[in-house]
Parts: sequence; C-alpha cells; structure tokens
Amino acid sequence: MNVKLWGTRGSIPSPGPETIRYGGNTSCVGVTLNDGSMLALDAGSGIRSLGLSLPEEPTRLHILLTHLHLDHIQGLVFFAPAFRPQTEIVIWGPASPEASLRDRIARYISAPLSPVEVRELPCDVSFRHAPDTEWEIGSARIRAASVSHRGPTLGYRIDDGDSSLTYIPDHEPALGADLDRLEEDWISGFALARDTSLLIHDGQYSDAEYPEHIGWGHSALGHSLAFARRTGAERTLLFHHDPMHSDEFLDGLQEEARRRWVELGGDADAVDLARERAEIELSARAASPAVASSPAATA
Amino acid sequence: MSFVTQRPLELILARNLMSALSTPAFLVDEGGVLAFYNEAAGMLLGKRFEELGSVGPEEWGSLFGPFGEDGAPIPYDELPLVRAVRDGRPAHAEYTIRSTDGSEHSVEVSAFPILTAHGSQGGIAIFWPRGMGSNGAGPA
Repeated sequence: MNVKLWGTRGSIPSPGPETIRYGGNTSCVGVTLNDGSMLALDAGSGIRSLGLSLPEEPTRLHILLTHLHLDHIQGLVFFAPAFRPQTEIVIWGPASPEASLRDRIARYISAPLSPVEVRELPCDVSFRHAPDTEWEIGSARIRAASVSHRGPTLGYRIDDGDSSLTYIPDHEPALGADLDRLEEDWISGFALARDTSLLIHDGQYSDAEYPEHIGWGHSALGHSLAFARRTGAERTLLFHHDPMHSDEFLDGLQEEARRRWVELGGDADAVDLARERAEIELSARAASPAVASSPAATA
Repeated sequence: MSFVTQRPLELILARNLMSALSTPAFLVDEGGVLAFYNEAAGMLLGKRFEELGSVGPEEWGSLFGPFGEDGAPIPYDELPLVRAVRDGRPAHAEYTIRSTDGSEHSVEVSAFPILTAHGSQGGIAIFWPRGMGSNGAGPA
C-alpha cells in the first residue's frame, strides 16, 4: 500500500513562504492499494494536485470523506478526473439524519458557491453512506467508525495485505476524558487505530494552545501521543496542522513530539509531523508495535 | 487481528459529559446494561462505579432497591430509565433508593433515551435528591 500526502493542513488553505515545507493544502491523502486500486482520503484542496497526477485513461476512484467541513471537500470541484466522462468516482461519507450525503455535498457543489452542479459533473459519480460493517475496495478491507469531532464524522481503517492505515484527521478523543485511564472500548477511534501500521491523526494544537480550543474537535499534542500510545500504532503522522503554524513552529512541535514519544517509551522515528507530498510505502507489518499498547507498561 | 469494538460514539460522549457533572447520573446501553455512573451517583449509592463495574439490567434494577412511597419495590419494567430506553421517550418518577451503607435517599429521577442515526443506543438517568433547589444546591 502506497500512501501519499497531498494536503496536510487543517481549517483553510494556508499557502505562503512560511508554510512551504509542511504544506498549505487542506486534507487529502492518496492511497494506492496493492492491487492498484486508488483511494483518496478526504477532498481538501490537496486533491487538486492528486487529480493532476492521475492518468487520463478510464479510471475508477474511491473518495472516502471523513466529514463535510469545507477543508475536507473544497477540492472536489477542482478535481480534474471529475470532469472526465471516462472516470467513475464513488464518494463515501458519514450518514446524517438531516439529508443524504449527495444532498449535503451538493450544498457546496451548487450555486452560488460553485459554477457547476453535481448533476453537471461529466464523470460517473455516486454517493454512498459508509456502512457500519467492514467492506471491500480492491484488495483492501475498509472500516469506518464515528469519532469525536463536531458533527457527523468518521475515521477510517484500511487493511491491505499485512499492513494497515488508520486515518482520523479531525479528532478530539480527550474531550472530557483521560486517555491514560479510560478503558479501550470507551476511547473514540480506538478500534480503528489498534496496532495499526500507520496512524494519521489530528495534531492541530500544542498543549499550550488547547485550553483555548476545548470542544473545537481537535487534539493537543499530548492527546495525540496518548492516543497513539494506547492504540499501539507502529508509526504516527500528526496531521491537520493549524493554519497559524509556520514551518518554524512545526519544526519545534516535531522536536517536542519526538522527545515526548521517547519519554513514553517509544522510538523517536515512529512519530513525525505530516509533510505535503511525503510518500510512505507500507509493507509487511513489523514484528511488534513501536510502543506498548498498555498504559501500565509505561506508567 | 483482534478488534476492540468501540462503544457507540454517543455513549462515549455521554459518559465524558457525565464524568464532569456534579449531578448524579446513570448510563445504560441499548440492552439496558449499566455502562457507567458518575462520582456524584456513586456518593449517593455508596459505591463507586469502578467498584461495581458493568452489570446487567435485572441486577442494577434491584441493587439499590428502588421503593415507592408505600415501601414496595418498584418493578424493574417501571423504572424511568427502563421505560425511556424501551419506549424511546423521556420518563420521570420519584422514589427512594437505599445506599450500600443502609441509608435511604428520596430522589426524583428523569431519564431520556439516546437516539442516534442508528436507532436507540441506550439512555441516561439523572437523579435529584428531593428537597434540593433548582440550582442543584441542597438545603442549607
């Protein structure tokens, strides 16, 4: 399974000289499965570049949306394959009691916000609510689960061969909870991330910033590390960088993340901050997770 | 690979909220199994949730002996929380519970179901000792 980060920023695209290295595009991760099937995780502004990288030949793509906040869908109308009749696109996302996935996305892909309507897209596009049970796309098994954020929001786990990718870009599992003490089944997102090969997880705030943002649906660094430790993720990429965080600030946050991860008993190389255009090849699972999954093991 | 099944997110968020409340509160899942009660409820009942753990509906329904005004035990099916989960609508009652130290407390109980896109996932009961003020403060 090949994973490429096309957008790592949260909230709003943040291009500029101060965000060159970590990137300014909003959430989008391209995944090429072992059988060649192609997935896009979220459709923030990063999906525009993903679309430009794809061949023009007939293609079937799956876009897995975690939720419908603008920074996760704003790239849809700039996704070149959507304007090719030979492309088939299946868009998966969270159900809502309010309206269908198609109707909710159409609020963005419609006037006056968009020059085109969903029905005008030349590609063959369909919309599906992510099921409660595991399903298959290509060579992978996909699972989705509701996670703690604002509004209906999913996290995804993709198991392909011996590797797995867990993607929870917007997540506040520590809202009103102590992640070090909570039972596993009471931790939002735990089942998706347990022993995963690669965890891509919300890392929007520093610990100092979080008190001003409680309930906004995102994690402080300490929460992200605690979640990664509890779940036994082999490698963690902190994602959804705050638009106010410059490369220089994020360098400092990465240094802090690695130092604290080592203090928790992990390997410094197992935690990184996500960088736009970074590419990760997930092969056979390592013999053991980078850190123990039990809090007692590092208490 | 062994998967841990995540509790419904609505229950997770309910528990997190209840943990922060000073109002005694009780949480059950869609099967009526006691999933959690908070510290304030533990003080009322005389036992912390961590000491009791998760127990089935019949057990918690009789554990603290809810009694009506006539002193007779209230049948399990008539408890507000059971009615709320079963009927999918709020329920309210007044009764007496017995703490593990033998003391009795007269309480009002309001319960409501947790309804989600996937149907009912359980319910919450909130206890108010009778005689408390509307702001939750007890008699001086």
